[in-house]
Amino acid sequence: MSGLRLEGLVAGHPARNGKGFRLPALDQSVPPGAIVALIGPNGAGKTTLLKTLAGLLPPLAGSITAPRAAYLPPPGAVEAGFSALHVTALGRSHLRRWSSGLAPADLDAARSALERLGVGDLADRPFDRLSSGQQQLVLIARLFVQDAGLCLLDEPLAMLDPAHAQAVEAAIRALAGEGRIVIASTHHLPFAARADRVLTLGTDRVDMASPALAVAPDRIRALFGVQADGCPCCGRPLS
Amino acid sequence: MNRLKAALPTLGLAMLAFAGVVAVLATGPLASSPDALLAALFGHGPPDAELALALRGPRLLAALTCGAALAGAGAGFQILFRNPLAAPDLLGVSSGAGLGAALALLLGAGTALVQSSAFVGGLAAGGLALGCAALTRSGDGRLALILCGVVAGALASAGLGLVVIVAEPYSQLPTITYWLLGSFTRATLAEGLFALAPVCLGAAILLWLGFRLDVLSLGDEQARSLGLPARPLRLTALAAAALMTSAAVALTGIVGWIGLLAPHAARLIVGERAGRLIPASMAIGALFALVIDRLSTGFGPAEIPVGLLSAAIGAPAFLFLFIATSRRS
Repeated sequence: MSGLRLEGLVAGHPARNGKGFRLPALDQSVPPGAIVALIGPNGAGKTTLLKTLAGLLPPLAGSITAPRAAYLPPPGAVEAGFSALHVTALGRSHLRRWSSGLAPADLDAARSALERLGVGDLADRPFDRLSSGQQQLVLIARLFVQDAGLCLLDEPLAMLDPAHAQAVEAAIRALAGEGRIVIASTHHLPFAARADRVLTLGTDRVDMASPALAVAPDRIRALFGVQADGCPCCGRPLS
Repeated sequence: MNRLKAALPTLGLAMLAFAGVVAVLATGPLASSPDALLAALFGHGPPDAELALALRGPRLLAALTCGAALAGAGAGFQILFRNPLAAPDLLGVSSGAGLGAALALLLGAGTALVQSSAFVGGLAAGGLALGCAALTRSGDGRLALILCGVVAGALASAGLGLVVIVAEPYSQLPTITYWLLGSFTRATLAEGLFALAPVCLGAAILLWLGFRLDVLSLGDEQARSLGLPARPLRLTALAAAALMTSAAVALTGIVGWIGLLAPHAARLIVGERAGRLIPASMAIGALFALVIDRLSTGFGPAEIPVGLLSAAIGAPAFLFLFIATSRRS
């Protein structure tokens, strides 16, 4: 799989009645298989950046060279009444754009992806009836089936209990282990500390750094405006 | 093997609808045996069977076409909008078709022209709603579509009110009112077959869309992230559903509740997936239309308009289904 290159990328919403929103320009490249944590205060533009990278929002300037991208909203945002297996198999839609239906191979791929993430027993349950954590694992299984080279995850760990958060983090590592780039926004700083790189989105600056540098207490204090020796959300010491 | 198992409930429902047709033809004053009817269908049956087919055939065709079309369109709308209250008149199609028919009746046109005018009126209202929604720039287009559908429906209703006011009260007004209440009896066989074409086209499009409708039901953003062109697909699905609704209303007048009720009943049996829900809904809709048509002749000498019966039976049945579904979850 190929890497990600951003050249002068400006994400944001175009100015309408003077109420535009522009993120600072980004010049970055990310190698295949890297996990990038995206941190920053609420409203800094994390979701906007992820959606722009996914091609769901047009960039205001600059260019993105990326493998096929997939965007996953935060846990609980996807609603579907059909089975977890069908939700997963829909990940192959792009291959079946003009065919009459999903192929048996798609269902096999979906089943093995669910089994790989340890949720094979949920395959026939309605997606609506699963917990947020189970839903998130099913949707990550769909990312495997979709086989996108760039996975953009919006707060993948939000609302999850520790066990599910651990399972989702392991699933994210498995995604990256196959050469995919994973960019995940998060407020869970220990996750950011374990990522390969951390993209920090402040109100007036954006930069990419190693986790050790990015989540150092003084940087976190400056970024969020809080006094913290450890992670502001769970208190665990950082790096 | 799995596919066959998944298709079984729908096949069962379709066979139930077919059995209903046979039962209707085999009972009542013009009762004929199934083999006599089959022979009559190919032009060499006993005279009474041919008479039964000639008199009841068009009516049955109208009922089945209308029921299946409204139910299929209703299922399509409910999937696309992820809203259990979505019904075939969501885009103002029924009101537009009513206005088209009323205008033609006001001008003293014959049945064929009234039906064509209703068909065009329905498509015009749906087109207006889709066109206006395309002008808006809200993130997910669903709310815009619902609002524009309300606007198109309100405009058509206002026009209909105007037609009713200017209509001659002793001859034209009863005709218009009677048309609007719906009937399976006025269509000829040719008109029924003529309406069947757009209904089949719309149904074929919705069935082909199949899993793509499931993707669309996840929302535009998810659909695009899964690699499908959300807007063109949704437009295609809406146009197909509007086509089916227009053809059904043009053929039989405004018969409500089938499009709301049948998908709910079907969902209880086959689940949410579009590829199963739409055919199952169509079978249930056809069966329901058959039943209300039978009931419409069952009380006294005068026929009860099917639009009234479908509401009188459909509304409580819908309530029952709704309570049943909510208790199950």
